[in-house]
Amino acid sequence: MHGMVGEMTRRVHSIEIDSEKCIGCVACSVVCPTEAIRVRSGLARVSHDLCIDCGGCIAACRYDAVRARMSSTSDLARFKHTVAIPSMTLYGQFGSNVDPSQVLDGLIQIGFDSTYDISWMYEMLGRATDAYLSECGGPWPKITASCPAIVRLVQIRYPDLIPHLVPLESARELAAKLHRRRLAKELGLAPDEIGFFFISPCTAIMNSIVSPVGMDRSYVDGALSISEVYGPLLKAIMSRDGKDLDAPVSARGMQWSVAGGQIGEMRNENTIAISGATDILRVFDRIESGKFQSVDLIEAHICPGGCVSGQLRIENRHAAERSIQRIVRRRDRHDRVKEERVRSLLHEHFFDLEEQIAARPVQALGGDLRTAIAMKRKRQEVLEGFPGKDCAACGAPTCEALARDVVKGEADPEDCVFVRIDRLEGGASTAGEGEDE
Amino acid sequence: MTAADEVLLRERFRITGSDFEHGGEVSARIKSILKEIGIPVEAIRRLSIANFEAEMNVVMYADEATLTLEVFSNAVRVEVADRGPGIPDVEKAMEPGFSTATEEMRARGFGAGLGLPNIERNTDEFVIESEVGTGTTLRYRVSWS
Repeated sequence: MHGMVGEMTRRVHSIEIDSEKCIGCVACSVVCPTEAIRVRSGLARVSHDLCIDCGGCIAACRYDAVRARMSSTSDLARFKHTVAIPSMTLYGQFGSNVDPSQVLDGLIQIGFDSTYDISWMYEMLGRATDAYLSECGGPWPKITASCPAIVRLVQIRYPDLIPHLVPLESARELAAKLHRRRLAKELGLAPDEIGFFFISPCTAIMNSIVSPVGMDRSYVDGALSISEVYGPLLKAIMSRDGKDLDAPVSARGMQWSVAGGQIGEMRNENTIAISGATDILRVFDRIESGKFQSVDLIEAHICPGGCVSGQLRIENRHAAERSIQRIVRRRDRHDRVKEERVRSLLHEHFFDLEEQIAARPVQALGGDLRTAIAMKRKRQEVLEGFPGKDCAACGAPTCEALARDVVKGEADPEDCVFVRIDRLEGGASTAGEGEDE
Repeated sequence: MTAADEVLLRERFRITGSDFEHGGEVSARIKSILKEIGIPVEAIRRLSIANFEAEMNVVMYADEATLTLEVFSNAVRVEVADRGPGIPDVEKAMEPGFSTATEEMRARGFGAGLGLPNIERNTDEFVIESEVGTGTTLRYRVSWS
């Protein structure tokens, strides 16, 4: 047990750098939305305080040096019974002719003891969000908390927007909590003898399991990446006809994998979907300045286009989106959940987070106000000595970031190649003058 | 001079009238400064709202303005002094819903007549001085304990 706790504390993030493969380029550093990465001594280093596990660096690395730390199939052996929970994105990975029923069947063939489709829980959450919006009374706009990287981003960079987050638990956690109890009784097992594994398109969800926000301990035991199960799963699906399979998957719930899918299924129409780190930062900045108050809900995804573009998927984002839409059209869209029931569950606090989302602001310059202002002045002086090209050759994503690192004592002005060249040239001319005399 | 009166940081920013493309950038820059030096979150939130409204007022109605930011140990003071048409009836301009915005401004989502009242609501002290044909000066303060 002690070892477990140690492991949990150590594994704060689900992203790691492979020092063998990293060549010390700055591709990861410049795309990071929180400027969490620096390249020092030819190796990328990630700040634990700033990383939001969005996985943007994984997609940016050409050398395969940024790795996702996910669960592996060998983790399944720790449990007497294993349950696969497919992400909605998984359903869109095999073209539009493969039905979700076949994906669920395939997961059994590759070694899971059972599967648990949670599309209906997404549908419930959509209705619960409608009910929440009609009752909560602001502050506006509300922001969805279904993307774990968005929640981290708000905690770190926009702590004043925490009251804007919709404080409802994820479909994944709610479903695992509910089903674990039921399944344990059914199988005559202790609840912790059952292992729930999410088949995930991203690192952020793994992180939400390892270091959850809004709860003490996740009800999900691990997350396997779509890319890891894809090969065997595709083979399993193709080996069977699968025409007679018909799992009751909710078409409304499946839409959650695509940006705009959640709000598209809601009653409230005063909503906006925003995705991709650049747009998210721009809009969150505006919300902080009091804009967008006339909007009820912002569906927010850190990945452009929603979960279908998570870094651990296989299928092209647009192809996956098309597959999802076609499957959805083929399936009937009648409501699987009753609205009055959802409202009463909301009042019974069924959907609530177990704990409040805590602010984790990272102050860039540290110290008390007076010290911070002195450091800011110093940073301005240092910055004026830099060329402002934001070339990132120093290993920091921008000149301003390097100036900040210098003031904090974590870097040297001469990490800047231009400063170094200037000194060498200056040094050379001084030496020349010396000779003339 | 007491410690609370000492200006720890003073910075000036230029705001250009009719420059919708860059409108909002000064308040965004101020916000990142305030975050960087560790001003309490709630104070930043209120200041950001006030600064954005004040900045957009200049962009919409004035020729140009200088925004002066002053940080004290437990307060931030802002002055926005513009060269512009001035406000003929300050009291009227303070009424929620009153606006002289053009159709074009409204189409951009401005001119709801909530700008000045919004600044007042989010600050601890708010003063307007205006002279028709010369310009308007806004002064406001947000403090914390």
